[in-house]
Amino acid sequence: MGRGRLSRILAVAANTFRETVRERVLYNLVFFALLMTLSGLLLAQLSIRQDEKIIKDLGLAAMDLFGSMIALFIGVSLVSKEIERRSLHPLLAKPLGRDEFFLGKFFGLAFTLFVNTSAMAAGLFLTLLATGRSANLGLVGAIYTIFLSLLLVVALAMLLSSVTSPALSAIGTLGLVIVGRFSDVIRNMREVVPGAPDWLVKILYYAIPNFRNFDFKEQAAYGDPIPLSALGQVTLYAAFYVGLALAAGLASFRSRDFE
Amino acid sequence: MEAPPVLKAVGLSKSYKVGHIRRRLRPALQGLDLEVRRGEIFGYLGPNGSGKTTTLKLLMGLLRADAGEVQVLGRPWLDPAWRYQVGYLPENPYLYDYLTPREYLDYVGRLFGLSSRERAERGRALLERLGLSHVAAVPLRRFSKGMLQRVGLAQALVNDPELLILDEPMSGLDPVGRRLVRDLILEQKAAGKTVLFSTHILPDAEALCDRVAVLRGGRLLDAGPLSQILKLDVSHMELLAAGLDAARLEDPAIRVRQALGERWRLEVEERSLGAVVRAVEAAGGRILAVQPIRQSLEDYFFKELGGGSAGPWGGAD
Repeated sequence: MGRGRLSRILAVAANTFRETVRERVLYNLVFFALLMTLSGLLLAQLSIRQDEKIIKDLGLAAMDLFGSMIALFIGVSLVSKEIERRSLHPLLAKPLGRDEFFLGKFFGLAFTLFVNTSAMAAGLFLTLLATGRSANLGLVGAIYTIFLSLLLVVALAMLLSSVTSPALSAIGTLGLVIVGRFSDVIRNMREVVPGAPDWLVKILYYAIPNFRNFDFKEQAAYGDPIPLSALGQVTLYAAFYVGLALAAGLASFRSRDFE
Repeated sequence: MEAPPVLKAVGLSKSYKVGHIRRRLRPALQGLDLEVRRGEIFGYLGPNGSGKTTTLKLLMGLLRADAGEVQVLGRPWLDPAWRYQVGYLPENPYLYDYLTPREYLDYVGRLFGLSSRERAERGRALLERLGLSHVAAVPLRRFSKGMLQRVGLAQALVNDPELLILDEPMSGLDPVGRRLVRDLILEQKAAGKTVLFSTHILPDAEALCDRVAVLRGGRLLDAGPLSQILKLDVSHMELLAAGLDAARLEDPAIRVRQALGERWRLEVEERSLGAVVRAVEAAGGRILAVQPIRQSLEDYFFKELGGGSAGPWGGAD
């Protein structure tokens, strides 16, 4: 990749990050995530010997839930807004390729998610510290896989935003995330719908990313270590589906008209 | 030898898909041939819906052409090198409302690969030229339409382009803003740059353009120097007279009488000019000017486009 190309991608990424930082909705979501993490302190006092698990459970769940909401929100709104409001028109007339713009957007959003996840993780670690507990590597691993799942959400949101309206992309991305968390239901679909063709079940199962693969919350909450090989596999899995979603989004973004 | 054109389009065509259930194609531009020469101000005229914006978006790559070839600054359209030397202002530009003009120009400058010093210097100079220095640090969301248009112009000029393409640059501007844009266009020409702008504000085109192209229903109706398009009407003359009440003149050779404050503008048949001049003087008036009647762009538009199916000002671009 040429220096000029990289520098333009970074310029778009930096501007995207600046836009999200100035978007107040994000702060609200991060605030609620931190509030939910802190509420673990109260719940922990009501339980016996389960305080650490409850704090970790709630903290990771908050990170997953609010992180997904943030990824969905920025993934859909930031790309759609550029298209709908035509703010990309002056930019695409410059020596900025459509692929550079699209990738720059993705990297900017990815960095935003990294900062948000880091902020929420810091909230969780501080809560644990306040109760005399400490974070273990398993917890870090679980946070890492949540971050990977958020990258996938944002890539899917960008893909759908490049082909349809903001409302439909939001519904579509949400649908994919929800269905992707119940992949086993798809695999066992024929038990409920015996007439469903095998090829259709297989296509659905492999086309929709399985978000359960990113879920290591249980191990982390119990303090179990997450093997590096498992983390490596999840990283490759995320890279494959993020790459696929970005390639499809890019193909659509490259060929579309900006009226 | 004549210099190669700065911009050349051959057979450029574009159709839009319309309808939700039964998709069909609506032609927006059909076989456009266009040539813009170095150092000229070229006006791209036509009523709403005639295909002006479609053409400019095709040139800038925002739309994909169905057919046709384009060369910009001697390079094929697909070669991105020409983009370093072209500036583009879209119609009613929307710019990031969370950025300030200074930040926006810095961002745009980065896309051209300018160094941080160059970006800072050009940004400062452009903001000053466009009268925006005092709001350089104010978010664009607080800007009026006219001020946004000025920032839009600044971003189009950030790379000091050889060719400036402006889509309706005067739209939504107050008289001061219009004057500023007109001066900027003339400055570009004086610096040897080429300007192509679309407009439906005909007096602006008349005052600025060396050559114009007129579009109707997605087809090129006419193109050339204004003097060629706006033909002289040699059979009638225009007289400017003062010191009389021309309404009282009873001369059938006078076909138009128009009061302009203290003065009168009269249109008379060329062969009766002498008689009308004598009649004015006999009535105690004096002749201030006599000249052949030149058709205005507005006359041209109403004559050439008035009978169109969409009417002269109907539809949408």
